[in-house]
Amino acid sequence: MTPRPATLTPAPAEVALPPARSPAAIALRRGLSHGGFLIGAAIVGFIVLAALAAPLIAPHDPYAQDVSRRLIPPVWHAKGGVAHLLGTDKLGRDYLSRLIYGSQISLLIGLSAALISGIIGTTLGVLAGYYGGRVDAVVSYVVTTRLAMPVVLVALAMASLVGGSLKVVVLVLGFLLWDRFAVVTRAATRQVRAQDFVAAARAAGFGPVRILAQEILPNILNALIVVATLEMAHAILLEAALSFLGLGVQPPLPSWGLMIAEGKQYMFFQPWVITIPGVALLVLVLGINLLGDGVRDITAPEGRH
Amino acid sequence: MLAFALRRILVAVSVALTVSVASFVLLHLSGDIATAIAGPEAIGEQIAAIRAQHGLDRPLIVQYAAWAWRALHLDFGRSFYFPEHVTDLVAARMPVTLTLGVIALAVALLVAIPLGVLAAFHRDTWLDRAALAVSVLGQAMPSFWFGLTLILIFSVNLRWLPVSGNATWKHFVLPAVALGYYAMPAVMRLTRNGMLEVLSSDYVRTARAKGLAPRKILVRHALRNAVIPVIALAAVQFGFMLGGSIVIEAVFSLQGLGQLAWESIARNDFPVVQAIVLVLAMIYIALTLAADLLNALLDPRLRT
Amino acid sequence: MPIRIDAGRVRVGTMRGMGALLAGLLLAGLAGPALAAKANDTLVYASDSEPENLSPYHNSVREGVILARNVWDTLIHRDPKTGEHQPQLATAWTWVDPVTLDLTIREGVTFHNGDPLTPEDVAFTFNYVLTPEAKIVTKGNVDWMKATEVTGPHSVRIHLKAPFPAALEYLSGPTPIFPAAYFKKVGLDGFSKAPVGTGPYRIVAVESGKGVRMVRNDKYWPGSPLGRPKIGKLEFRVIPDGDSRMAELMTGGVDWIWRVPTDQAEQLKNDPTLTVLSAETMRVGFLQFDVQGRAMENSPIKDARVRRAIFHAIDRKAMVDNLVRGGARVMNAACFIDQFGCTDAGVPAYAYDPAKARALLKEAGYPNGFEIDLAAYRERDYAEAVIGYLRAVGIRAKLNYLRYAAFRDALRGGKTSIGFQTWGSFSINDVSAFTGIYFRGGEEDLARDPAVIATLQAGDTGSDPAARKAKYAEALARIAGEAYVVPMFSYPSNYAFSRDLAFTAQADEVPRFYAASWK
Repeated sequence: MTPRPATLTPAPAEVALPPARSPAAIALRRGLSHGGFLIGAAIVGFIVLAALAAPLIAPHDPYAQDVSRRLIPPVWHAKGGVAHLLGTDKLGRDYLSRLIYGSQISLLIGLSAALISGIIGTTLGVLAGYYGGRVDAVVSYVVTTRLAMPVVLVALAMASLVGGSLKVVVLVLGFLLWDRFAVVTRAATRQVRAQDFVAAARAAGFGPVRILAQEILPNILNALIVVATLEMAHAILLEAALSFLGLGVQPPLPSWGLMIAEGKQYMFFQPWVITIPGVALLVLVLGINLLGDGVRDITAPEGRH
Repeated sequence: MLAFALRRILVAVSVALTVSVASFVLLHLSGDIATAIAGPEAIGEQIAAIRAQHGLDRPLIVQYAAWAWRALHLDFGRSFYFPEHVTDLVAARMPVTLTLGVIALAVALLVAIPLGVLAAFHRDTWLDRAALAVSVLGQAMPSFWFGLTLILIFSVNLRWLPVSGNATWKHFVLPAVALGYYAMPAVMRLTRNGMLEVLSSDYVRTARAKGLAPRKILVRHALRNAVIPVIALAAVQFGFMLGGSIVIEAVFSLQGLGQLAWESIARNDFPVVQAIVLVLAMIYIALTLAADLLNALLDPRLRT
Repeated sequence: MPIRIDAGRVRVGTMRGMGALLAGLLLAGLAGPALAAKANDTLVYASDSEPENLSPYHNSVREGVILARNVWDTLIHRDPKTGEHQPQLATAWTWVDPVTLDLTIREGVTFHNGDPLTPEDVAFTFNYVLTPEAKIVTKGNVDWMKATEVTGPHSVRIHLKAPFPAALEYLSGPTPIFPAAYFKKVGLDGFSKAPVGTGPYRIVAVESGKGVRMVRNDKYWPGSPLGRPKIGKLEFRVIPDGDSRMAELMTGGVDWIWRVPTDQAEQLKNDPTLTVLSAETMRVGFLQFDVQGRAMENSPIKDARVRRAIFHAIDRKAMVDNLVRGGARVMNAACFIDQFGCTDAGVPAYAYDPAKARALLKEAGYPNGFEIDLAAYRERDYAEAVIGYLRAVGIRAKLNYLRYAAFRDALRGGKTSIGFQTWGSFSINDVSAFTGIYFRGGEEDLARDPAVIATLQAGDTGSDPAARKAKYAEALARIAGEAYVVPMFSYPSNYAFSRDLAFTAQADEVPRFYAASWK
């Protein structure tokens, strides 16, 4: 948090209660005793590590195909082997390696889409919350319009017009998923704006830019992080759905959604081909959601749910 | 109330107008319409004739006005692919998607509300945590993957339910579960929170103090009040579900609006896509308007 | 608290409203269930594409061909076993000269709507489809005709534009006869919704997005080489998704599916309630190049060395052995090897040789390869395997998977650099049905090589079979030398159907349901 003049420091209950502790220490203590947060952090941390270290830990080139070694089952299967721990896909590519590299794509899409939509939504929300009145009315109207557009359908149509690719998916999702950012930051900004320290900053003659950057943004950061995790999860699921429908990430990129789409025709007789990427997606999204819920609980004032 | 209603309706109308502009733009972004109508074999002159005949050489704003006027009369022109009017195509597929949406919503509400109530009554017990786990899972599961898994278990292995199509009510069971499960967590959490709030409110405490049985308290007071916001949420969720059914319809080969939209996108049949975008958006706008008005009617504090 | 009382009332009202809505929707959404199987004498077959228009001249999807063969008759019948031409709606025919064909039209045949078949119907059909207003999509099948005239109460004369030895082949397949009076009355739109023919089955319902229902034509003319249909009701169901089709078959929802991927076909063989058949078909897969480089600036595909490099980069044999299987063969010439005039003698063959491919790319100025897009509309696996092979030599191809209509438009319009095409030659056993579409300068010809066009025209119009063959061999050699396309392999078709059904598959990829029966 930005240090601020003592006169502007608020005195909410959470800071006042245990006098010896800083807010960060409280958050840490709460975080360590919050089961969901810990599980979420562990899952996300593990997947982020796997994505970063993909070239080191992936046993094979995820694109190297060998059509004479197709559809080898995973190692726990009677016909599986240790050469391919999770087996191979329909073109003989190593499934574990594709899964590891696929985590890069899911994370990349989740982060970039959340970043783009975060910037758009936060800007709109903060402006609406800070200025209120007409600005607020315009923003509300823009948000309502955006909510009225069916997301999947519009994303599909856009992707088909420009041609599906990683970049297009990120942009389309980024430009479609900002509504929750706007709604939440608007509410949070309104709340913060009413506080004494903002009034004091104004009285001290600080311009709106400085007030927004120094007083408002740091104080709505927690709310932003929570929404960002939600939207990351949302973007990852939508990417998977778009790729599943054939208009998202294009082959041969190993996106998890695409792996499910490609494995679909084998699901009756080689069910692991869709189960493995499906479970991976589920675990990642679950982890992100738990992390987000955890952050919300930890940063919430004591006693609130 | 009247002023609020008028203001809210005004917003809905302007949003509807904006959406219609967006969907008009979508069609025009999709390529040269005259070439598409003329077909792949047409030569320059024929295309020019068609352009003039359909008024595609006029300024865009004039074209939009003409298009919007026709759209108001439910005339979206002809499909580029099928020899049919877009309106007929959409009307033929609409009942399937609406049926799916209604059943999915029913599934979601019938599971989520009791679960939310139970969770609130047994707050912080294993039941509460189990309900939370179900809802967290629901949010994390890719709906198409869940649908495929349902097919694998209930159609192929157990042979209880059919795989695809929309011939009987049985065909709707799996898709409705897959679609409804996605909408369930939000409803459940809202019910739980609403119940918690109501249970801690003064009149319920009074009722408890008067010695009323818990079941009576539940029915007479708590549920009734907790359910109000849920109805509003349900309306919004229904709109989302219609939009989201595109994935589920693809998984279950249900010939509804979503499937039509998906195939039309793949066939570059943009008049159909545009009409479906518009129809879904209008349904959503109407539903949220109704929900807002209903809420405002019930809770005067919301009329700001 | 008045508000709470209101809430209760409104809620009850809403619930009641919802109930009514639900009931109404259920009634609207649920049409009568379709029952498959022997017990109902209804054969339900499923396939992926819905013809955009049921008029056989106005769609180019295989599902349309199947409907055409079961609902309409043609003038001549080609015996699928012997390849012999037999009388169908025409009882006799004679060549007056190489550009004039006289035919005698059969008496006593009636259309499904009761109209008798007359020579006027034949002349109307052929003359109508040649008009630009008809906007047919199967031009290549009819544009050899100049005009058709009625020459007597039971005879017609077809004037050809130029000598066309394969004419009888075309008259026995993709040229069904329409009822003139009915068509004129309802127009193309009406016809596509309620089509009428003379064939063994009569269309009773066309359901957009769902399929087509047919019943046996009990008045089908006796003595037809097609025989009398045995199964009472036929239903075509559109199920776009291959896995849903398979699951439907496994659970008894449909009786017959095809194009089952070989992996799955082998698994289905273990199911005691099903019969699985594999047969090679006339369909050939090939990579079609945007030779003129319209899809991207400075397209590498314009360079023949790059196209040859792609040829060398793909291990077609390994694909056939491991991926395609089921009796598929590697094709070297741009046609189906058993077609008349198709040969790979003298046609340059390109062995799988990634090193050579890389060398060729280097020579063409792409030592580090390039990025390109590849469109496909059928088996994703095959296209992805090709992408994998291209990647191994440095060409980074991105898959653009489309429906056929969009795919065809993308290739024709020069919007994609490589297309994974397949062509079944409309089941015509003559090389012109392949080369005529893709290399004779028409809409689908992306190379437009004047030398090839001239040689093919000479082949198509020559009257001496040996001379025709020589011309085709010359053209095919040039096509392969310039690598305008990369022929991949012939397609096997895997059929899977109910044990109760007696069904025989033909190489021409036209399932003849009129000849099927229950066991």
